[in-house]
Amino acid sequence: MDLTPRPVTDAESRAQNRRRRWAPMIIVALALVAGGVVVSQFLTSAIDYYCNVDEVGVRDGCVGQRRIRVQGIVVENSLKQTNGVTEFSLVFQDKTLRVQYQGDPGGVFQECIPVVAHGRVVDGVFDSDRIEVKHTNQYVEKNKTRFEATKETAACSQLPG
Amino acid sequence: MTTTQSTATPTTQKLGIATAIAVSFLVLSGLIFSAEDVVQGSTVRMMYVHVPSIWVAYLAFGLTALCSAVYVSNRSRSLIWDRFAGASAEIGVLFVAISLVTGSLWGRLTWGTFWVWDARLTSTAFLFITYIGYLAVRRLGGTFTQRARRSAIMALLAVLEIPLVHFSVNLWRTLHQKASIADPNAKVQLDGFMLFTLFWGLVSFSMLFAWLLIHRQRLMALEDAVQDQGLDRAIQERRTEAGR
Amino acid sequence: MDHASFIIGSYVLTIISVAAYAISIVRRGRKLGAITSDDDKPWI
Repeated sequence: MDLTPRPVTDAESRAQNRRRRWAPMIIVALALVAGGVVVSQFLTSAIDYYCNVDEVGVRDGCVGQRRIRVQGIVVENSLKQTNGVTEFSLVFQDKTLRVQYQGDPGGVFQECIPVVAHGRVVDGVFDSDRIEVKHTNQYVEKNKTRFEATKETAACSQLPG
Repeated sequence: MTTTQSTATPTTQKLGIATAIAVSFLVLSGLIFSAEDVVQGSTVRMMYVHVPSIWVAYLAFGLTALCSAVYVSNRSRSLIWDRFAGASAEIGVLFVAISLVTGSLWGRLTWGTFWVWDARLTSTAFLFITYIGYLAVRRLGGTFTQRARRSAIMALLAVLEIPLVHFSVNLWRTLHQKASIADPNAKVQLDGFMLFTLFWGLVSFSMLFAWLLIHRQRLMALEDAVQDQGLDRAIQERRTEAGR
Repeated sequence: MDHASFIIGSYVLTIISVAAYAISIVRRGRKLGAITSDDDKPWI
């Protein structure tokens, strides 16, 4: 009995077979490329040192005027928004850093919340062009009987002490 | 209703109804009954679909690896394990996609940005791409046994990414918050009804996963049977020709 | 509810995508179930 594969003569079936054979290979290739892009984006974004406030000017990579990312908590009563400029202080391990940002940071930005500011230190002030708001892993129900703070300072009720 | 022509049985129908009720209650609880968060306000409601989605993805990919390991280690090489692995991975891809999209929307409201290349987000995106690749590898052709063998090896390698994704928030400094309930120190940091709603989400999405998995695995068995029929028919035609 | 479009949108997106997937599985299952013998359906 002859079991050699026969050429498909019908044009439509031929095209269908070709698609069925190539589609998974193309997807595998695209997945490899996409994986490479994701990893390279991650590595590129990690070029800016990630420093806590207390490490600015101290830790290797966090000194000088190089572009860095600074993590800290927005100090209570430090937030000022005038003429489209947002100013506040960040604190971490008892060290504070004054931050200046053009515009409204967005998200749930408020006092007492952890944020990551991107930028560089200029004359002792952190000149930021990007702010990302971190959220803690604590979720507290809004309950009027035990919480009456304004929306802007809500996070201060979660701070220990 | 007859079930002989479908992938449903009375048991899966009951499971389907129970799942629909559970998910409906989750929607009500998540959107209406549960309280707002002190800091995030209403935005916290997105957690009740985002976290269960990634939970199902972890569960699905874990099961894919487990079934692949059973296939590889079992002498009988039963294809049912391969089908469960493939079905589970497909569902996992769907849920990790949901998790990425809902997480991105949630991130826009809390962090102020849809996407950042931080360790958790990047590793989750990588996980998604890996399993897209796994599904493509399953369709590369060859016999069912070849498919089962190569995809089992890939599944056993791919599952190693899950601990990396989950613990990325501890291994790197990330924008993404640390685990709330799957904390290694087991410190629950969710208030009463919020915690209940989240657990309800995990349970109802797990039921949904079970229902989808059973049906998809059965569909895969039917797809294999149809492919076999085609092959049988071709061999029969050749036999007939040879006999002439 | 603040940001209702994002919040409800995420629920709708989740439900619609899962429902669409579930429906496609069930429909294809019925289609293939009709052309395969009961021997291929051990769950019956």
